[in-house]
Amino acid sequence: EDAVAQQKVEIDNAIAMERIRETIRLDPSLPWTETLVVSYPETVDVDVDDDLNRELAFYKQALHCAKEAKTLAAKHNFPFTRPADYFAEMVKSDAHMERIRQRLLDESATIKRSD
Amino acid sequence: MNDLEALLPHVKKDAKLDSKNHLNLLPELADLNNCNNALYFEARRHEDLYLWAAKTPNGPSIKMHVQNVHTMDELKMTGNCLKGSRGILSFDKAFDESEWGRLTKEVFTHIFGVPPQARKAKPFVDHVLTFSLLDNKIWFRNFQIVEKDPLQPNGPPQTSLVEIGPRFVLTPIRIFEGAFGGATVYSNPEFVSPAAVRSALNKERGNRYKSRKF
Repeated sequence: EDAVAQQKVEIDNAIAMERIRETIRLDPSLPWTETLVVSYPETVDVDVDDDLNRELAFYKQALHCAKEAKTLAAKHNFPFTRPADYFAEMVKSDAHMERIRQRLLDESATIKRSD
Repeated sequence: MNDLEALLPHVKKDAKLDSKNHLNLLPELADLNNCNNALYFEARRHEDLYLWAAKTPNGPSIKMHVQNVHTMDELKMTGNCLKGSRGILSFDKAFDESEWGRLTKEVFTHIFGVPPQARKAKPFVDHVLTFSLLDNKIWFRNFQIVEKDPLQPNGPPQTSLVEIGPRFVLTPIRIFEGAFGGATVYSNPEFVSPAAVRSALNKERGNRYKSRKF
């Protein structure tokens, strides 16, 4: 039985994509504070299945960008750090955070018990 | 997916769209809501989730397959951030190395970047949205920026990160010229649809049975 190998048609129309990108591009003269985009100067190049190293690479990327964003924010006179007396609604509710804390406590208690 | 809504203060959520075949309604809907970007989650066969990220009304749009979703409700991620604070968008360098990567970066910048005048936005920055290209997939992570060292509260401020979530992996499938349609300008040659994977698995199981039986 000779099955015809299905060949997927690969489309990679770089010219069209570039044109589209040009049409939707944000004005480059916009100040950085409009978009808050930071590019990481390195590529993440780790083994995909290595969970620990992969997450570490993402963490490094985020940390690098956070630091860079902080310096950029200082340059643009943009408020970055939240003052300690500024309270507002958080993404996760207090009840949820309490549950997380409880779980952490439980975990450390289990570790202690097994020691 | 309410997580994304919580993180992006400028979004407007709309109810489910009941037909999967009339995607061309979506730009109209977006227009009714005064939106010029749209994220549309499409669930198929109760197990596959696709995400459309589109600029409406003129495109382009990117269709992606969503995998490995962890929501913020899970207890493993201990970070927290202000509701409605503007996140920093971080892209790694791999996005700049291919044309589709650059286009994706541009679209994501539009969609996930919170405009400073957004009504519900808070004036401070306390989290980072990380997009990394690895293995031709886009890995999404969200970290809280912690400025204080928890061990030395009075020591010098030290920036560290705590993951907030959600996290997910996006596999780009196709990029279309228009919003939810139009000519394909990019298709991922490596993408295999999850249904094909499952059917291949089933077939293999069937073959095993056959070879055992005869």
